[in-house]
Amino acid sequence: MAASGIRPTIARKEFGDALRSRVVWGIVAVIAVMSSLSAALPLLVPEAGGGPEAAIGGASQFAGLLVPIMALLAAYLTVVGERESGSLKVLLGLPPSRGEVLVGKFLGRGGAVVLGIASGFAISGVVTAALYAELPVVAFLATTALTVLLAVSFLGIAVGISAVTATRSRAMTLAITAYLGLTLLWDLAPNGVHLLVTGDLPGTAVPAWFLLVRGLSPTGAYNALVQRTLLGGAATDAALGGPSPAYLDPAVFLAVLLAWAAVPLVVGYGAFRRADLS
Amino acid sequence: MPADAPPPSDGTTDDESVAIRTSGLTKRYGDDVLAVDDLDLTVYAGEIFGFLGPNGAGKSTTIDVIMDYVRPSAGSATVLGHDAQAETRAVHERVGILPDGYGLYERLTGRKNLEYAVALKGTGDDVDDLIDRVGLDSAAADRAVGGYSKGMTQRLALAIALVGDPDVLILDEPSSGLDPNGVRLVREIARDHADRGKTVFFSSHILSQVEAVCDRVAILDRGRLVAVDTIAGLRDALDTGSTVTLTVDAVPDRLTLGEVAGVDDVAVDDRTIRVRVAEAAAKVDVIDRVRDDGAAVLDVAIAESSLEDLFSAYTGGSPPDRDGPDAAGASLADADGGA
Repeated sequence: MAASGIRPTIARKEFGDALRSRVVWGIVAVIAVMSSLSAALPLLVPEAGGGPEAAIGGASQFAGLLVPIMALLAAYLTVVGERESGSLKVLLGLPPSRGEVLVGKFLGRGGAVVLGIASGFAISGVVTAALYAELPVVAFLATTALTVLLAVSFLGIAVGISAVTATRSRAMTLAITAYLGLTLLWDLAPNGVHLLVTGDLPGTAVPAWFLLVRGLSPTGAYNALVQRTLLGGAATDAALGGPSPAYLDPAVFLAVLLAWAAVPLVVGYGAFRRADLS
Repeated sequence: MPADAPPPSDGTTDDESVAIRTSGLTKRYGDDVLAVDDLDLTVYAGEIFGFLGPNGAGKSTTIDVIMDYVRPSAGSATVLGHDAQAETRAVHERVGILPDGYGLYERLTGRKNLEYAVALKGTGDDVDDLIDRVGLDSAAADRAVGGYSKGMTQRLALAIALVGDPDVLILDEPSSGLDPNGVRLVREIARDHADRGKTVFFSSHILSQVEAVCDRVAILDRGRLVAVDTIAGLRDALDTGSTVTLTVDAVPDRLTLGEVAGVDDVAVDDRTIRVRVAEAAAKVDVIDRVRDDGAAVLDVAIAESSLEDLFSAYTGGSPPDRDGPDAAGASLADADGGA
């Protein structure tokens, strides 16, 4: 009957909610300002050197820290907020299944966040092109696409968190934990492992497994992929002091990013499907 | 009328005539909360069925299982022949629900809330008709729901329940937060729905709201079904009778009321004689006998056993809610069965 149109209907509403909540406009502003600033930095401080590629690299550093927060903010309440307010009872009293609700919400919130990131990068692309009179289009578009993927990973995590929790406060705790753990602590983890394994902190040359561990978080995978895009494989080889093994292939990190979107969603669905919503 | 002659409930009735059926339905929360205990209930198509019980009796939990908000610990529920858990979509396409403890999208207007429900149900209802039907002001319908009063919110939720003209309308405490006009409206909607051959399942902890409109009622207490019958049937079964109160100039020294057939109990206090009678015809006999005994009757008052008496007789004397619909609003907070 209405089954075919349910997911798009939910997605459209969630998209509208995200636009109304101003999170998306925050994303546009933060991305545009931060990446435009990092584009202007080499010009303001000439001794730092670098061209538009370095500008894009700088922008990606900001994005790696800020996009996860914004994606989490955009979606961590999407299910649990309705569960706590009781509107979920009305929604699930209609034909939509729990799975359709999750998928619709993921798509709708995702669409809004992707739109925000693309708009922010479009603005900074114009600024970069104006400042340098050139824009490395391929590197720029690839970085934009990778940033979108990073956002999708954290959206999967956020919707997953929203689906497994019964209260807003619990969801917030988990979202903060996920952010700190996956973006900040994970950077330290490989150093700790290195210290345990070798008795030393990593120096200029690092073992290949070190790069793999660092790239297993969504932000780590994102950074590895951006670096590969901007600098090519040579940078990795230089860090390792030799050719890199197959498990450092960009496809691995791409898979890591996608897995971070899919696994929390699947786990969240599993818990949500079984939950008593009373 | 299903009220007069409900079809036999021996399991031979085909699914078309049964709107809702629960079989051995049990819901446990944790180890020590038994919200619903082995509930067997059959609601026939076309009847208005009252689902009564004090707060915490398990009414909302039963509805939660019927709507698949929660899963039964044992037993099952079917709606129009479809299993509530296994065929949820088929159930939800034909049911309209006003749930307990619901919320609406506060940032959206009433109209947008309703349009969303219509789109998700795919029924193409005219939103203005629905707004009209529940008596929501059309200017109010264009304002954000966050600013609605409880009564307006309840009317909008009722409109959402009516989307798609459902075969089964489930109303969980529909009168809570409504003024007397709203309470009347709920009754009218229920009646109108049943008149067109559809089923209404109406839960309440206030007997008087159910009594006026329901063909049959079930009374639930501490998760168990204690009675299913018509209101008149419940009255007869309990034999609660009525009380005749006489005010006399002076109580006669020799009062022979005890000899009158149908008199259960006599109490004398100053110039008042209170007589409980089991039979209607005994009332006049009581008055005649008091006069024969030599007293002048100054005033007569007759009280039928109240519905509340009836209710508390079934639910083990737990004090009934004597307040009007307003009290129901407060009780929304303590949802049934540890919910």
